[in-house]
Amino acid sequence: MSQPILSLSAVRVAYGRIEAVRGVDLAVGRGAFVGIIGSNGAGKTSLMRAISGVVRPAGGTITFDGEDVTGRKSHEMVARGLAMVPEGRMVFSDQSVRDNLMLGAYTRIGRDDAGVADDLEKVLGLFPRLAERIDQVAGTLSGGEQQMLAIARGLLSRPKLLVIDELSLGLAPKILDLLFPVLTALNRDGLSILLVEQMASYALAVTERTYVMENGRVILEGASTDVAVDPRVLDAYLGRRGAA
Amino acid sequence: MEAVIQYLLTGLSAGSVYGLIALGFYVMWSAAKAVNFTYGEMFMLGGVLTVVLMELGLPLPVAALTAIAAAALAGAVIERVFVRPFNQESNAIGWMLTTIAVGIMIEASTTATYGPLGRPLPSPLAEEPLRIGGSGIYPQELLLPVAAILITLALEFFYRRTVLGRAMRAVSFNRVAAGLVGIDADRITLLAFAMAGALGALAGFLVAPVIQASASMGVIVGLKGFMVAIIAGIANARGVVVVGILYGIAEKLIEGFLSTAARDAIGFTLMILLLLLFPQGLFGRAEVRKV
Repeated sequence: MSQPILSLSAVRVAYGRIEAVRGVDLAVGRGAFVGIIGSNGAGKTSLMRAISGVVRPAGGTITFDGEDVTGRKSHEMVARGLAMVPEGRMVFSDQSVRDNLMLGAYTRIGRDDAGVADDLEKVLGLFPRLAERIDQVAGTLSGGEQQMLAIARGLLSRPKLLVIDELSLGLAPKILDLLFPVLTALNRDGLSILLVEQMASYALAVTERTYVMENGRVILEGASTDVAVDPRVLDAYLGRRGAA
Repeated sequence: MEAVIQYLLTGLSAGSVYGLIALGFYVMWSAAKAVNFTYGEMFMLGGVLTVVLMELGLPLPVAALTAIAAAALAGAVIERVFVRPFNQESNAIGWMLTTIAVGIMIEASTTATYGPLGRPLPSPLAEEPLRIGGSGIYPQELLLPVAAILITLALEFFYRRTVLGRAMRAVSFNRVAAGLVGIDADRITLLAFAMAGALGALAGFLVAPVIQASASMGVIVGLKGFMVAIIAGIANARGVVVVGILYGIAEKLIEGFLSTAARDAIGFTLMILLLLLFPQGLFGRAEVRKV
């Protein structure tokens, strides 16, 4: 197997004396679709913040695209090809949809304007609702549309790995039924995706591999189909109902 | 009536200075949620450095541009050394202390080297006053509102239409999100402080022919500019300039009809009342603090 696009070794994240992530090993293969599930407070978002360079890990090593990137800042990670769709979406709600998308291409503007224009058309094809609202201020979009915008904005940096933190947060099932197929299609086209999701049943259904986090540690990992039938997962996350 | 026109004209000019200073505070606050309280000194450098460089034999435009560039550099250095390290935690206030202290040092060392007295900055536009009705005003004074308006429009264009300006707004809106799209928020903040430094120096250079360039010219003006920015709500360029001009006019009216001594007492009282009535500022919106 070729070298993974992302691999973590013994990564720890701490806020002061509180340790949110206590030594996580994880790998995302090139072109893979990997999920992380776990309850609120399991350390998933802290781990994502470390991967994307928002916080500096307290320990361990992060390797991205073959290079040690531990402690790199988020803007450097974007330039290297990692895009994160953060928890809560964080769209620039005082700017238009178009300007949000162009900010997504910030690292490419002036260098690859033709490619940016192409990609803009592509993401608007993926999310026609954004095309309809292209000149609207992002703050006026619905939650689902803002999530589309956040994903589209991430894609405009032309990432090698797309990290999505809590895709489903606050969204109606109807919107999720729209969003998940888009991710599957992007993955089929070769994009590596790391999806963090509290709604375990959704994540297990679309990903190939799944990590289960609890109390800052990975307690279980494997093919999503296996994880979905693991008794611990059935009990804690699927309520013994959603098994595939 | 003539007197009123006179007050309005000089108030417009003085108020434009407040507006320009307030614009600088707005630019810095937007990017960093912190400001540089040495800012009055950037204004002072614009006047004093231009005078000094002209005394050394440089022609006016070269002297002025050099002074403005120096103030931009000073703004950047102050951000890097005295603001950023003291603005790491949300709600940090260390930068207040450091920048106030550095401001006092800049003023003191300018007094020590340049001298305590003001010196004129010769300008062809400050020799013969224009007569408007029975009132007189130097063309130089009319440059100030023109500059305030042009710079406001330029800033609005910059924030809305350029990639860099939109990146600055993104940083202002949410630093984490800005980083996640690849914007180096620290660099953008540095740039904002440099821009503000240049803006302050430009105001100082423009007003120096009228008020004389002195080491202490920036202290009170800097403070009033900051007040104006707060009253306006430090949320948009137009708002801070409008409030600046209105405050300048109010000052001149008070000066004219009451006394110079009453000016600041009444002016500051007015500001405090406005702040009580409009805690978010006249044009402000609720400031959402992000962690």
